[in-house]
Amino acid sequence: MIKRLTNGTLKYGSLLLYVLVSLYPLVWLLFYSFKDNEEIFSTNVFGIPKEWRVENYVNAFQSFDLIMYFKNSFIVSIGTVALTVLLGLMFSYASARMKWGLSNAARIYMTAGMFIPMQIILIPLLMIVRSMHLQNSYLAVIVPYAAFQLSFACIIFYAFFRSLPKEIEESAAIDGANVYRTFFSIMVPLVVPAIASVSIFVFLFAWNEFLVALVMISDNALKTLPLGLLYFQTQFSSDWGAMGAVMVLSTVPTILVYLLFSEQVENALTVSSAVKG
Amino acid sequence: MSEKWKNKVALLVFTVPTLLFFTIIVFIPILQTFQKSFFDWDGLSTPIFIGFDNYLRLFDDPDFWVSLKNGLIFAFVLVVYQIGLGTILAIVLSSKAVRGRKWFKTTFFIPVVLSGVMVSQLWIAIYNPEGGLLNSIFAALGMDYQQAWLSGEHTSIWAIAFTNAWQNMGILLVLIYTAIKSIPEHLYEAALIDGSSFWHTHRKITIPLLSETYKFGLIIAITGGLNAFQNMFVMTNGGPGNISYTFTFMMYKAAFRSNEYGYGSAAAAILVIECLLFTILINKFVAREKISY
Repeated sequence: MIKRLTNGTLKYGSLLLYVLVSLYPLVWLLFYSFKDNEEIFSTNVFGIPKEWRVENYVNAFQSFDLIMYFKNSFIVSIGTVALTVLLGLMFSYASARMKWGLSNAARIYMTAGMFIPMQIILIPLLMIVRSMHLQNSYLAVIVPYAAFQLSFACIIFYAFFRSLPKEIEESAAIDGANVYRTFFSIMVPLVVPAIASVSIFVFLFAWNEFLVALVMISDNALKTLPLGLLYFQTQFSSDWGAMGAVMVLSTVPTILVYLLFSEQVENALTVSSAVKG
Repeated sequence: MSEKWKNKVALLVFTVPTLLFFTIIVFIPILQTFQKSFFDWDGLSTPIFIGFDNYLRLFDDPDFWVSLKNGLIFAFVLVVYQIGLGTILAIVLSSKAVRGRKWFKTTFFIPVVLSGVMVSQLWIAIYNPEGGLLNSIFAALGMDYQQAWLSGEHTSIWAIAFTNAWQNMGILLVLIYTAIKSIPEHLYEAALIDGSSFWHTHRKITIPLLSETYKFGLIIAITGGLNAFQNMFVMTNGGPGNISYTFTFMMYKAAFRSNEYGYGSAAAAILVIECLLFTILINKFVAREKISY
């Protein structure tokens, strides 16, 4: 009995300790976004702000064009999701449900992107983008994002399409539906859970991506949130409270998206890990 | 049009756009990176073929050896923290006595969804030598560990790598946890009858059965470490001096700051070869036999 009790305490103790490691830095950030420099670094490092300085948030909004960065990140993320899902669905349908000689080889070729770091192609990519005059358009980042996320999307969609019974297409063919109609009005609705998983995953990726955006986007009006954060850091490095406010504001949407769809995110992660490295 | 023809056309409509897109944006550029690594090229004028000169220059560059070492340290920290700690937490979390599993899992995963830039900025404040959170914790505990974490020659890369490990531990935790949950219950019943202890049971039963998951985890942790860039870019800008350089940082600096695209391509090519080497090694030595229950 005593052993079970101490065992239980040990288990909960270690889990709660890591909750602290995992969450306290974020809570600390939330607190310091309402503090001034003196409170953050000397008089009140750990605790709740003595005085809630909402002016940090006012300063943040005045000197940081949050709406613009949000808008840019939103357009880039939605564009990436749309392109990835469309191309990924079409290819995976063909590789999972149609019979053709190179089906397996083509599928493995597409999954290779999972293991290729994006920075490898950064130099040639910049040349492509320059030659197509896509510089300073959202497409300069949407195109590479989608190309690299396709591997992940194809793995998930393939697994889902494979799990559907063979009879579906047969009965659709008997009803006289052609392959395109079968795809769009019968097959795609059946894999909506997979579409949701892929969409959220790809959305979060595009929302947070930094290096490709850094190289491809130079026009301030097109910069995504991570670039905006970097810009703010160099401009207002001494005002830690306002910096904290900007960081909190930029983070809230991703945390909300995750909390709403945590199940889908975890599912997508586990399915994709089943691919052979 | 015959039925057969229609099906052929449909197949092309479904596959060609995706294959073409992937080939143009991902596959061909990889080949180009390798090709351009043999040229002296500023990105505008005609590239001049110089054989292995870029590579020879790399091996003579002090930044190269620092980058190589830092990549390996970064990978080491990710493996120990994400796979080591991830395994311990996943095992504890999967034990039947624990309630609120979903809540714990979600909490541990939250840092993963944050932007790497934001997390790096947060840890700049935590590592701040003048009263940052970490030094304040040491001071409060009466320990004499306070230091300038990010600018210290021996602490910088470790501190930066820790930030990344902290942020992404949840990925490995979820993967390992899900793998543990798929192990059939009856394998544990025998151990229970034998009276074997909690950790002993897991060491003998759970961990060997996770080798497929570990393979994937090792690949993402090690290649993730070797590819590190954004944490140091935001936190130290590679410095002070070159102490927090990595290959990606070298590539970025050569290509996008000094217009030495050939030299940058060579750094990128070395990175691909290094990642490939580790992936092959992991595939060779981890989980060679298929697991069946």
